[in-house]
Amino acid sequence: MVAVVRRMRKLRALLAIRLGPGAAVLPPEVTRIHMDFATDIHDGHYGPRAFWRNCLPRLKYHNPAVPMTVNRTINQTGPALMTVHFTSPEAAATIKTEISSTVDKQTSTGPVPESKAGPPTERTEVINMKHRHDSEILEQLLKLTKAKVVRPTAEEQREMQEMEEQNARSERDAAMMAEVNAKRKREEEILEQARGEVEAMQE
Amino acid sequence: MATQRHCLAQLSRLCLSSTRAVSSPSAVRFLSTTAVCASRGKFAPKILSKKEKAGIASKGQNPQKNKKKDAPQKKRKARTTYKTYDLKDAEMFSLCDAMRYIRAFEVGRSPTSVKYEMALKLKSQKNGPVVRNRLRLPHPVRTDIRICVICPPDSKYAEQARAAGASLVGEEDIFEAVKDGRIEFDRCICQTDSLDKMNKAGLGRILGPRGLMPNTKLGTVVKDPAAVLKDMVGGAEYRERLGVVRMAIGQLGFTPEEMQKNIRTFIEAVKKDMAHLNDRINKELYEVVLSSTNAPGFPLNGEFISADSKITTRELSTS
Repeated sequence: MVAVVRRMRKLRALLAIRLGPGAAVLPPEVTRIHMDFATDIHDGHYGPRAFWRNCLPRLKYHNPAVPMTVNRTINQTGPALMTVHFTSPEAAATIKTEISSTVDKQTSTGPVPESKAGPPTERTEVINMKHRHDSEILEQLLKLTKAKVVRPTAEEQREMQEMEEQNARSERDAAMMAEVNAKRKREEEILEQARGEVEAMQE
Repeated sequence: MATQRHCLAQLSRLCLSSTRAVSSPSAVRFLSTTAVCASRGKFAPKILSKKEKAGIASKGQNPQKNKKKDAPQKKRKARTTYKTYDLKDAEMFSLCDAMRYIRAFEVGRSPTSVKYEMALKLKSQKNGPVVRNRLRLPHPVRTDIRICVICPPDSKYAEQARAAGASLVGEEDIFEAVKDGRIEFDRCICQTDSLDKMNKAGLGRILGPRGLMPNTKLGTVVKDPAAVLKDMVGGAEYRERLGVVRMAIGQLGFTPEEMQKNIRTFIEAVKKDMAHLNDRINKELYEVVLSSTNAPGFPLNGEFISADSKITTRELSTS
Protein backbone atom coordinates (compact mmCIF):
# COMPACT_ATOMS: atom_id res chain seq x y z
CA MET A 1 0.00 0.00 0.00
CA VAL A 2 1.22 3.49 -0.75
CA ALA A 3 2.87 4.96 2.31
CA VAL A 4 0.75 7.25 4.42
CA VAL A 5 2.88 10.38 4.01
CA ARG A 6 2.84 10.19 0.26
CA ARG A 7 -0.89 9.57 0.27
CA MET A 8 -1.53 12.55 2.54
CA ARG A 9 0.66 14.72 0.39
CA LYS A 10 -1.43 13.73 -2.59
CA LEU A 11 -4.60 14.48 -0.70
CA ARG A 12 -3.51 18.05 -0.19
CA ALA A 13 -4.11 18.40 -3.89
CA LEU A 14 -7.78 18.17 -2.96
CA LEU A 15 -7.56 21.83 -2.22
CA ALA A 16 -6.92 22.24 -5.92
CA ILE A 17 -10.13 20.47 -6.75
CA ARG A 18 -12.14 22.73 -4.48
CA LEU A 19 -10.64 25.98 -5.71
CA GLY A 20 -9.29 27.30 -8.95
CA PRO A 21 -10.63 27.77 -12.44
CA GLY A 22 -13.98 26.04 -12.70
CA ALA A 23 -14.92 26.28 -9.02
CA ALA A 24 -18.43 27.66 -9.36
CA VAL A 25 -21.94 26.82 -8.20
CA LEU A 26 -24.40 26.49 -11.03
CA PRO A 27 -27.98 27.73 -10.61
CA PRO A 28 -30.62 25.00 -10.12
CA GLU A 29 -31.99 25.51 -13.61
CA VAL A 30 -28.95 23.83 -15.12
CA THR A 31 -29.80 20.14 -15.25
CA ARG A 32 -27.04 18.68 -17.32
CA ILE A 33 -23.82 19.47 -19.15
CA HIS A 34 -22.70 17.39 -22.07
CA MET A 35 -19.45 17.71 -24.01
CA ASP A 36 -18.78 16.32 -27.47
CA PHE A 37 -15.29 16.35 -28.90
CA ALA A 38 -12.63 14.20 -30.52
CA THR A 39 -10.18 11.94 -28.70
CA ASP A 40 -7.07 13.50 -30.20
CA ILE A 41 -5.97 17.11 -29.76
CA HIS A 42 -5.44 18.04 -33.39
CA ASP A 43 -7.62 20.45 -35.30
CA GLY A 44 -8.76 22.56 -32.38
CA HIS A 45 -9.72 19.79 -29.98
CA TYR A 46 -7.11 20.67 -27.39
CA GLY A 47 -9.17 23.24 -25.50
CA PRO A 48 -12.14 20.95 -24.85
CA ARG A 49 -9.90 18.25 -23.44
CA ALA A 50 -8.06 20.72 -21.24
CA PHE A 51 -11.42 21.98 -20.01
CA TRP A 52 -12.53 18.45 -19.21
CA ARG A 53 -9.30 17.66 -17.38
CA ASN A 54 -8.86 20.96 -15.55
CA CYS A 55 -12.19 22.66 -15.03
CA LEU A 56 -14.88 19.99 -15.11
CA PRO A 57 -13.78 18.18 -11.92
CA ARG A 58 -14.10 21.43 -9.95
CA LEU A 59 -17.47 22.12 -11.48
CA LYS A 60 -18.55 18.60 -10.59
CA TYR A 61 -17.29 18.96 -7.04
CA HIS A 62 -19.39 22.05 -6.46
CA ASN A 63 -22.40 20.66 -8.32
CA PRO A 64 -22.44 16.97 -7.44
CA ALA A 65 -26.04 16.49 -8.55
CA VAL A 66 -25.63 17.81 -12.08
CA PRO A 67 -24.83 15.01 -14.53
CA MET A 68 -21.81 15.92 -16.59
CA THR A 69 -21.06 13.62 -19.48
CA VAL A 70 -18.27 13.51 -21.99
CA ASN A 71 -18.48 11.83 -25.35
CA ARG A 72 -15.27 11.56 -27.32
CA THR A 73 -15.45 10.59 -30.97
CA ILE A 74 -12.79 9.41 -33.39
CA ASN A 75 -13.90 11.98 -35.95
CA GLN A 76 -11.08 14.50 -35.64
CA THR A 77 -12.56 16.97 -38.14
CA GLY A 78 -15.96 17.01 -36.44
CA PRO A 79 -17.31 19.73 -34.17
CA ALA A 80 -16.46 20.28 -30.51
CA LEU A 81 -19.63 21.32 -28.74
CA MET A 82 -20.80 21.77 -25.19
CA THR A 83 -24.51 21.40 -24.61
CA VAL A 84 -26.00 22.91 -21.47
CA HIS A 85 -29.50 21.76 -20.59
CA PHE A 86 -31.80 24.19 -18.78
CA THR A 87 -35.15 23.62 -17.17
CA SER A 88 -37.72 26.07 -15.88
CA PRO A 89 -37.19 27.40 -12.33
CA GLU A 90 -40.46 25.78 -11.18
CA ALA A 91 -39.47 22.36 -12.46
CA ALA A 92 -36.03 22.76 -10.94
CA ALA A 93 -37.59 23.42 -7.54
CA THR A 94 -39.90 20.40 -7.58
CA ILE A 95 -38.35 17.65 -9.71
CA LYS A 96 -34.99 16.30 -8.78
CA THR A 97 -32.45 14.60 -11.00
CA GLU A 98 -33.01 10.91 -11.50
CA ILE A 99 -30.78 8.69 -9.41
CA SER A 100 -28.30 6.53 -11.22
CA SER A 101 -29.04 3.27 -9.45
CA THR A 102 -31.76 2.58 -6.95
CA VAL A 103 -31.36 0.94 -3.59
CA ASP A 104 -34.19 -1.56 -3.93
CA LYS A 105 -32.92 -4.97 -4.84
CA GLN A 106 -34.75 -5.50 -8.12
CA THR A 107 -32.95 -2.85 -10.07
CA SER A 108 -29.70 -2.42 -8.28
CA THR A 109 -28.41 -5.98 -8.49
CA GLY A 110 -28.05 -5.60 -12.24
CA PRO A 111 -25.64 -3.28 -13.97
CA VAL A 112 -26.23 0.39 -13.36
CA PRO A 113 -28.35 2.05 -16.05
CA GLU A 114 -26.80 4.75 -18.20
CA SER A 115 -27.31 8.30 -17.04
CA LYS A 116 -30.67 9.94 -17.63
CA ALA A 117 -31.81 13.48 -17.01
CA GLY A 118 -34.55 14.02 -14.46
CA PRO A 119 -36.51 17.25 -14.90
CA PRO A 120 -37.67 17.98 -18.46
CA THR A 121 -35.26 20.05 -20.48
CA GLU A 122 -36.84 23.31 -21.54
CA ARG A 123 -34.07 24.69 -23.67
CA THR A 124 -30.49 23.82 -24.52
CA GLU A 125 -27.64 26.19 -25.21
CA VAL A 126 -24.64 25.17 -27.27
CA ILE A 127 -21.12 26.49 -26.83
CA ASN A 128 -18.68 25.95 -29.65
CA MET A 129 -15.40 24.81 -28.10
CA LYS A 130 -13.38 24.23 -31.21
CA HIS A 131 -10.12 26.20 -31.40
CA ARG A 132 -10.84 27.73 -27.99
CA HIS A 133 -8.63 27.82 -24.93
CA ASP A 134 -10.08 26.16 -21.84
CA SER A 135 -10.25 29.48 -20.00
CA GLU A 136 -12.33 30.92 -22.83
CA ILE A 137 -14.71 27.97 -22.67
CA LEU A 138 -15.08 28.41 -18.93
CA GLU A 139 -15.71 32.11 -19.31
CA GLN A 140 -18.46 31.46 -21.83
CA LEU A 141 -20.05 28.80 -19.66
CA LEU A 142 -20.05 31.01 -16.57
CA LYS A 143 -21.58 33.86 -18.54
CA LEU A 144 -24.23 31.61 -20.07
CA THR A 145 -25.31 29.95 -16.83
CA LYS A 146 -24.73 32.93 -14.49
CA ALA A 147 -22.89 30.63 -12.10
CA LYS A 148 -21.54 31.88 -8.78
CA VAL A 149 -17.76 31.59 -8.64
CA VAL A 150 -16.41 30.12 -5.38
CA ARG A 151 -13.69 32.25 -3.80
CA PRO A 152 -11.15 30.84 -1.34
CA THR A 153 -11.48 31.80 2.32
CA ALA A 154 -8.56 33.26 4.25
CA GLU A 155 -7.70 29.88 5.73
CA GLU A 156 -7.74 28.24 2.35
CA GLN A 157 -5.68 31.00 0.86
CA ARG A 158 -3.05 30.43 3.51
CA GLU A 159 -3.03 26.71 2.80
CA MET A 160 -2.70 27.33 -0.90
CA GLN A 161 0.25 29.59 -0.31
CA GLU A 162 1.83 26.94 1.87
CA MET A 163 1.39 24.39 -0.88
CA GLU A 164 2.95 26.71 -3.39
CA GLU A 165 5.95 27.23 -1.13
CA GLN A 166 6.27 23.50 -0.68
CA ASN A 167 6.14 22.94 -4.41
CA ALA A 168 8.77 25.60 -5.01
CA ARG A 169 10.97 24.01 -2.38
CA SER A 170 10.60 20.57 -3.88
CA GLU A 171 11.44 21.94 -7.30
CA ARG A 172 14.57 23.58 -5.94
CA ASP A 173 15.59 20.37 -4.20
CA ALA A 174 14.97 18.37 -7.33
CA ALA A 175 17.21 20.71 -9.35
CA MET A 176 19.91 20.40 -6.72
CA MET A 177 19.74 16.64 -6.71
CA ALA A 178 19.74 16.53 -10.50
CA GLU A 179 23.03 18.45 -10.48
CA VAL A 180 24.58 16.07 -7.97
CA ASN A 181 23.40 13.07 -9.93
CA ALA A 182 24.72 14.49 -13.20
CA LYS A 183 28.11 15.07 -11.62
CA ARG A 184 28.26 11.56 -10.25
CA LYS A 185 27.29 10.15 -13.59
CA ARG A 186 29.91 12.19 -15.39
CA GLU A 187 32.62 10.94 -13.05
CA GLU A 188 31.50 7.39 -13.53
CA GLU A 189 31.63 7.83 -17.26
CA ILE A 190 35.14 9.21 -17.14
CA LEU A 191 36.25 6.28 -15.00
CA GLU A 192 34.62 3.84 -17.37
CA GLN A 193 36.34 5.43 -20.31
CA ALA A 194 39.71 5.33 -18.60
CA ARG A 195 39.26 1.67 -17.84
CA GLY A 196 38.44 1.02 -21.46
CA GLU A 197 41.59 2.78 -22.59
CA VAL A 198 43.75 0.76 -20.23
CA GLU A 199 42.27 -2.44 -21.54
CA ALA A 200 42.84 -1.34 -25.11
CA MET A 201 46.49 -0.59 -24.35
CA GLN A 202 46.98 -3.98 -22.76
CA GLU A 203 45.69 -5.64 -25.88
CA MET B 1 43.40 -18.60 25.74
CA ALA B 2 41.55 -15.52 24.71
CA THR B 3 39.05 -15.82 27.47
CA GLN B 4 41.76 -16.34 29.98
CA ARG B 5 43.56 -13.21 28.88
CA HIS B 6 40.37 -11.28 29.07
CA CYS B 7 39.89 -12.50 32.58
CA LEU B 8 43.38 -11.43 33.48
CA ALA B 9 42.88 -8.02 32.07
CA GLN B 10 39.96 -7.57 34.33
CA LEU B 11 41.93 -8.82 37.26
CA SER B 12 44.79 -6.46 36.64
CA ARG B 13 42.37 -3.58 36.22
CA LEU B 14 40.87 -4.50 39.54
CA CYS B 15 44.31 -4.39 41.05
CA LEU B 16 45.09 -1.02 39.56
CA SER B 17 41.92 0.51 40.85
CA SER B 18 42.54 -0.90 44.28
CA THR B 19 46.02 0.60 44.29
CA ARG B 20 44.59 4.06 44.07
CA ALA B 21 42.32 3.49 46.99
CA VAL B 22 44.91 2.07 49.35
CA SER B 23 47.49 4.33 50.97
CA SER B 24 50.49 2.01 50.56
CA PRO B 25 50.36 1.17 46.84
CA SER B 26 53.62 -0.67 46.31
CA ALA B 27 52.99 -3.46 48.75
CA VAL B 28 49.55 -4.19 47.48
CA ARG B 29 50.60 -4.20 43.88
CA PHE B 30 53.41 -6.54 44.65
CA LEU B 31 51.14 -8.87 46.49
CA SER B 32 48.51 -8.99 43.84
CA THR B 33 50.88 -9.50 40.93
CA THR B 34 52.60 -12.37 42.59
CA ALA B 35 49.28 -13.96 43.31
CA VAL B 36 48.29 -13.73 39.72
CA CYS B 37 51.66 -14.91 38.49
CA ALA B 38 51.50 -17.91 40.75
CA SER B 39 48.19 -18.93 39.41
CA ARG B 40 49.38 -18.64 35.81
CA GLY B 41 52.58 -20.57 36.18
CA LYS B 42 56.20 -19.94 35.32
CA PHE B 43 56.15 -19.58 31.55
CA ALA B 44 53.08 -17.47 31.17
CA PRO B 45 53.53 -14.25 29.19
CA LYS B 46 54.17 -11.05 31.00
CA ILE B 47 51.18 -9.15 32.27
CA LEU B 48 50.75 -6.05 30.22
CA SER B 49 49.86 -2.60 31.38
CA LYS B 50 46.69 -0.94 30.13
CA LYS B 51 48.55 1.13 27.57
CA GLU B 52 50.39 -1.78 26.08
CA LYS B 53 47.24 -3.76 25.89
CA ALA B 54 45.47 -1.01 24.01
CA GLY B 55 48.31 -1.00 21.46
CA ILE B 56 47.98 -4.69 20.90
CA ALA B 57 44.25 -4.51 20.61
CA SER B 58 44.49 -1.86 17.91
CA LYS B 59 47.02 -3.97 16.03
CA GLY B 60 44.43 -6.67 16.19
CA GLN B 61 45.09 -10.09 17.47
CA ASN B 62 41.48 -10.70 16.67
CA PRO B 63 40.33 -7.71 14.62
CA GLN B 64 36.90 -9.11 13.89
CA LYS B 65 36.07 -9.35 17.53
CA ASN B 66 37.39 -5.94 18.42
CA LYS B 67 35.52 -4.28 15.61
CA LYS B 68 32.25 -5.80 16.64
CA LYS B 69 32.57 -4.51 20.13
CA ASP B 70 33.40 -0.93 19.22
CA ALA B 71 31.22 -0.20 16.17
CA PRO B 72 27.50 0.37 16.69
CA GLN B 73 25.43 -2.62 15.66
CA LYS B 74 24.67 -2.12 11.99
CA LYS B 75 22.62 -5.18 11.19
CA ARG B 76 19.18 -4.79 12.67
CA LYS B 77 16.79 -7.63 13.03
CA ALA B 78 14.52 -7.85 9.99
CA ARG B 79 11.01 -6.81 10.88
CA THR B 80 8.46 -9.58 10.99
CA THR B 81 5.38 -7.40 10.68
CA TYR B 82 4.32 -4.93 8.04
CA LYS B 83 4.99 -1.33 8.80
CA THR B 84 2.08 0.57 10.25
CA TYR B 85 1.96 4.31 10.51
CA ASP B 86 0.50 6.49 13.18
CA LEU B 87 -2.80 7.67 11.79
CA LYS B 88 -3.33 10.31 14.45
CA ASP B 89 -2.60 13.21 12.14
CA ALA B 90 -3.88 11.59 8.98
CA GLU B 91 -6.81 13.22 7.27
CA MET B 92 -9.90 11.01 7.31
CA PHE B 93 -13.09 11.33 5.33
CA SER B 94 -16.68 10.33 5.75
CA LEU B 95 -18.00 8.09 3.00
CA CYS B 96 -20.07 10.82 1.37
CA ASP B 97 -17.18 13.30 1.31
CA ALA B 98 -14.87 10.73 -0.21
CA MET B 99 -17.49 9.85 -2.80
CA ARG B 100 -17.98 13.50 -3.68
CA TYR B 101 -14.27 13.92 -4.35
CA ILE B 102 -14.01 10.67 -6.26
CA ARG B 103 -16.99 11.55 -8.42
CA ALA B 104 -15.35 14.87 -9.20
CA PHE B 105 -12.13 13.10 -10.18
CA GLU B 106 -14.03 10.67 -12.39
CA VAL B 107 -16.20 13.24 -14.13
CA GLY B 108 -17.05 12.49 -17.72
CA ARG B 109 -16.19 8.81 -17.54
CA SER B 110 -18.52 5.92 -18.08
CA PRO B 111 -20.36 5.12 -14.83
CA THR B 112 -20.27 1.40 -15.55
CA SER B 113 -16.60 1.06 -16.41
CA VAL B 114 -15.13 3.07 -13.55
CA LYS B 115 -14.93 1.16 -10.28
CA TYR B 116 -14.64 2.10 -6.65
CA GLU B 117 -11.86 0.17 -4.97
CA MET B 118 -11.39 -0.63 -1.35
CA ALA B 119 -8.12 -1.39 0.40
CA LEU B 120 -8.12 -2.75 3.93
CA LYS B 121 -4.77 -2.48 5.62
CA LEU B 122 -4.19 -5.06 8.31
CA LYS B 123 -1.81 -5.26 11.20
CA SER B 124 -0.26 -8.55 10.36
CA GLN B 125 2.80 -10.74 10.35
CA LYS B 126 4.79 -10.98 7.15
CA ASN B 127 4.71 -14.73 7.21
CA GLY B 128 1.91 -17.05 8.17
CA PRO B 129 -1.56 -17.53 6.73
CA VAL B 130 -3.30 -14.82 4.75
CA VAL B 131 -6.90 -13.76 4.55
CA ARG B 132 -8.40 -15.20 1.42
CA ASN B 133 -12.00 -15.87 0.56
CA ARG B 134 -14.84 -15.36 -1.84
CA LEU B 135 -17.68 -12.97 -1.23
CA ARG B 136 -20.97 -12.03 -2.79
CA LEU B 137 -21.62 -8.34 -2.39
CA PRO B 138 -25.20 -7.13 -1.95
CA HIS B 139 -24.71 -5.08 -5.11
CA PRO B 140 -22.33 -6.96 -7.38
CA VAL B 141 -19.71 -4.98 -9.22
CA ARG B 142 -19.17 -7.28 -12.13
CA THR B 143 -21.83 -9.58 -13.52
CA ASP B 144 -20.33 -10.91 -16.75
CA ILE B 145 -17.91 -13.54 -15.46
CA ARG B 146 -17.40 -16.62 -17.64
CA ILE B 147 -17.35 -19.77 -15.58
CA CYS B 148 -16.16 -23.21 -16.59
CA VAL B 149 -17.50 -26.34 -14.90
CA ILE B 150 -15.58 -29.59 -15.16
CA CYS B 151 -17.98 -32.54 -14.91
CA PRO B 152 -19.19 -35.28 -17.27
CA PRO B 153 -21.17 -33.45 -19.99
CA ASP B 154 -24.14 -35.82 -19.81
CA SER B 155 -24.55 -35.86 -16.02
CA LYS B 156 -27.26 -34.06 -14.07
CA TYR B 157 -24.61 -31.69 -12.70
CA ALA B 158 -23.86 -30.50 -16.20
CA GLU B 159 -27.52 -29.70 -16.78
CA GLN B 160 -27.81 -27.81 -13.52
CA ALA B 161 -24.60 -25.93 -14.17
CA ARG B 162 -25.77 -24.85 -17.60
CA ALA B 163 -29.02 -23.69 -16.10
CA ALA B 164 -27.16 -21.72 -13.44
CA GLY B 165 -25.19 -19.83 -16.07
CA ALA B 166 -21.95 -21.72 -16.73
CA SER B 167 -20.41 -20.82 -20.07
CA LEU B 168 -18.40 -24.01 -20.47
CA VAL B 169 -19.33 -27.50 -19.28
CA GLY B 170 -17.47 -30.71 -20.03
CA GLU B 171 -14.39 -32.81 -19.38
CA GLU B 172 -12.14 -33.97 -22.22
CA ASP B 173 -12.98 -31.18 -24.64
CA ILE B 174 -12.15 -28.56 -21.99
CA PHE B 175 -8.84 -30.28 -21.20
CA GLU B 176 -8.00 -30.27 -24.91
CA ALA B 177 -8.96 -26.62 -25.26
CA VAL B 178 -6.87 -25.59 -22.26
CA LYS B 179 -3.86 -27.52 -23.55
CA ASP B 180 -4.21 -25.71 -26.87
CA GLY B 181 -4.11 -22.43 -24.98
CA ARG B 182 -7.76 -21.52 -25.44
CA ILE B 183 -8.79 -20.45 -21.98
CA GLU B 184 -12.18 -18.89 -22.48
CA PHE B 185 -13.24 -18.55 -18.87
CA ASP B 186 -12.42 -16.47 -15.79
CA ARG B 187 -13.30 -19.06 -13.14
CA CYS B 188 -13.13 -22.81 -13.02
CA ILE B 189 -15.09 -25.25 -10.85
CA CYS B 190 -14.57 -28.99 -10.72
CA GLN B 191 -17.06 -31.63 -9.67
CA THR B 192 -15.62 -33.98 -7.03
CA ASP B 193 -15.97 -37.12 -9.17
CA SER B 194 -14.04 -35.53 -12.06
CA LEU B 195 -11.12 -34.49 -9.90
CA ASP B 196 -9.00 -37.55 -10.67
CA LYS B 197 -9.48 -37.14 -14.38
CA MET B 198 -8.53 -33.50 -14.19
CA ASN B 199 -5.40 -34.22 -12.18
CA LYS B 200 -4.38 -36.86 -14.71
CA ALA B 201 -4.88 -34.42 -17.55
CA GLY B 202 -2.10 -32.25 -16.11
CA LEU B 203 -3.72 -28.86 -16.31
CA GLY B 204 -1.91 -27.56 -13.27
CA ARG B 205 0.97 -26.22 -15.28
CA ILE B 206 -1.34 -24.12 -17.44
CA LEU B 207 -4.10 -23.16 -15.04
CA GLY B 208 -2.02 -22.94 -11.88
CA PRO B 209 -0.13 -19.72 -12.63
CA ARG B 210 -3.37 -18.07 -13.69
CA GLY B 211 -5.06 -19.01 -10.44
CA LEU B 212 -7.73 -20.97 -12.27
CA MET B 213 -6.85 -24.46 -11.06
CA PRO B 214 -9.70 -25.96 -9.03
CA ASN B 215 -8.61 -26.74 -5.51
CA THR B 216 -10.42 -28.16 -2.50
CA LYS B 217 -8.84 -25.53 -0.27
CA LEU B 218 -10.32 -22.72 -2.31
CA GLY B 219 -13.73 -24.33 -2.41
CA THR B 220 -13.64 -24.81 -6.16
CA VAL B 221 -13.83 -28.59 -6.01
CA VAL B 222 -17.39 -29.32 -4.94
CA LYS B 223 -20.14 -31.92 -4.98
CA ASP B 224 -22.76 -29.65 -6.45
CA PRO B 225 -21.33 -27.06 -8.86
CA ALA B 226 -24.66 -25.34 -9.43
CA ALA B 227 -24.86 -24.06 -5.85
CA VAL B 228 -21.35 -22.58 -5.99
CA LEU B 229 -22.05 -21.14 -9.40
CA LYS B 230 -24.84 -19.03 -8.02
CA ASP B 231 -22.41 -17.53 -5.54
CA MET B 232 -19.80 -16.99 -8.17
CA VAL B 233 -21.97 -15.08 -10.59
CA GLY B 234 -21.64 -11.65 -9.10
CA GLY B 235 -19.30 -12.94 -6.45
CA ALA B 236 -15.76 -11.70 -6.10
CA GLU B 237 -12.57 -13.05 -4.65
CA TYR B 238 -10.26 -11.23 -2.36
CA ARG B 239 -6.95 -12.06 -0.76
CA GLU B 240 -4.39 -10.38 1.41
CA ARG B 241 -1.22 -9.29 -0.34
CA LEU B 242 1.54 -7.56 1.62
CA GLY B 243 -0.83 -6.97 4.48
CA VAL B 244 -3.54 -5.35 2.38
CA VAL B 245 -6.83 -6.79 1.17
CA ARG B 246 -8.08 -5.09 -1.98
CA MET B 247 -11.30 -5.48 -3.86
CA ALA B 248 -13.47 -3.63 -6.33
CA ILE B 249 -16.41 -2.53 -4.22
CA GLY B 250 -18.75 -0.70 -6.57
CA GLN B 251 -19.41 1.00 -9.84
CA LEU B 252 -19.21 4.75 -10.11
CA GLY B 253 -22.96 4.99 -10.54
CA PHE B 254 -23.72 3.43 -7.15
CA THR B 255 -25.53 5.51 -4.58
CA PRO B 256 -23.93 6.15 -1.16
CA GLU B 257 -26.40 3.75 0.45
CA GLU B 258 -25.43 0.96 -1.90
CA MET B 259 -21.79 1.64 -1.32
CA GLN B 260 -22.33 1.60 2.42
CA LYS B 261 -24.00 -1.79 2.19
CA ASN B 262 -21.20 -3.19 0.05
CA ILE B 263 -18.44 -1.81 2.23
CA ARG B 264 -20.08 -3.07 5.40
CA THR B 265 -20.47 -6.56 3.94
CA PHE B 266 -16.88 -6.62 2.78
CA ILE B 267 -15.40 -5.46 6.06
CA GLU B 268 -17.53 -7.86 8.06
CA ALA B 269 -16.47 -10.75 5.82
CA VAL B 270 -12.79 -9.89 6.24
CA LYS B 271 -13.19 -9.56 10.00
CA LYS B 272 -14.88 -12.94 10.14
CA ASP B 273 -12.04 -14.46 8.11
CA MET B 274 -9.49 -12.97 10.46
CA ALA B 275 -11.31 -14.48 13.43
CA HIS B 276 -11.42 -17.88 11.74
CA LEU B 277 -7.67 -18.00 11.27
CA ASN B 278 -5.40 -19.86 13.63
CA ASP B 279 -5.70 -18.86 17.30
CA ARG B 280 -2.11 -17.72 17.50
CA ILE B 281 -2.39 -15.49 14.47
CA ASN B 282 -3.65 -12.11 15.50
CA LYS B 283 -4.65 -9.80 12.70
CA GLU B 284 -6.27 -6.48 13.18
CA LEU B 285 -8.00 -4.11 10.83
CA TYR B 286 -5.95 -0.98 10.75
CA GLU B 287 -7.00 1.35 7.96
CA VAL B 288 -9.81 1.50 5.41
CA VAL B 289 -9.07 3.35 2.18
CA LEU B 290 -11.55 4.07 -0.59
CA SER B 291 -10.19 4.81 -4.03
CA SER B 292 -11.24 4.47 -7.63
CA THR B 293 -9.78 3.95 -11.08
CA ASN B 294 -8.44 7.49 -11.43
CA ALA B 295 -8.77 9.05 -7.99
CA PRO B 296 -6.35 9.15 -5.04
CA GLY B 297 -6.98 7.01 -1.96
CA PHE B 298 -9.25 8.41 0.74
CA PRO B 299 -8.91 6.98 4.25
CA LEU B 300 -12.38 6.55 5.72
CA ASN B 301 -13.22 7.44 9.29
CA GLY B 302 -16.24 5.16 9.48
CA GLU B 303 -18.89 7.85 9.31
CA PHE B 304 -21.47 7.74 6.59
CA ILE B 305 -21.96 11.48 6.24
CA SER B 306 -20.12 14.12 8.21
CA ALA B 307 -22.15 16.30 10.57
CA ASP B 308 -21.30 19.58 8.86
CA SER B 309 -21.87 18.25 5.37
CA LYS B 310 -23.60 20.64 2.99
CA ILE B 311 -24.62 17.98 0.52
CA THR B 312 -27.25 15.28 0.74
CA THR B 313 -26.93 11.67 -0.31
CA ARG B 314 -29.52 12.39 -2.98
CA GLU B 315 -27.08 14.72 -4.69
CA LEU B 316 -24.47 11.98 -4.83
CA SER B 317 -26.90 9.51 -6.34
CA THR B 318 -27.08 11.06 -9.78
CA SER B 319 -24.78 9.94 -12.50
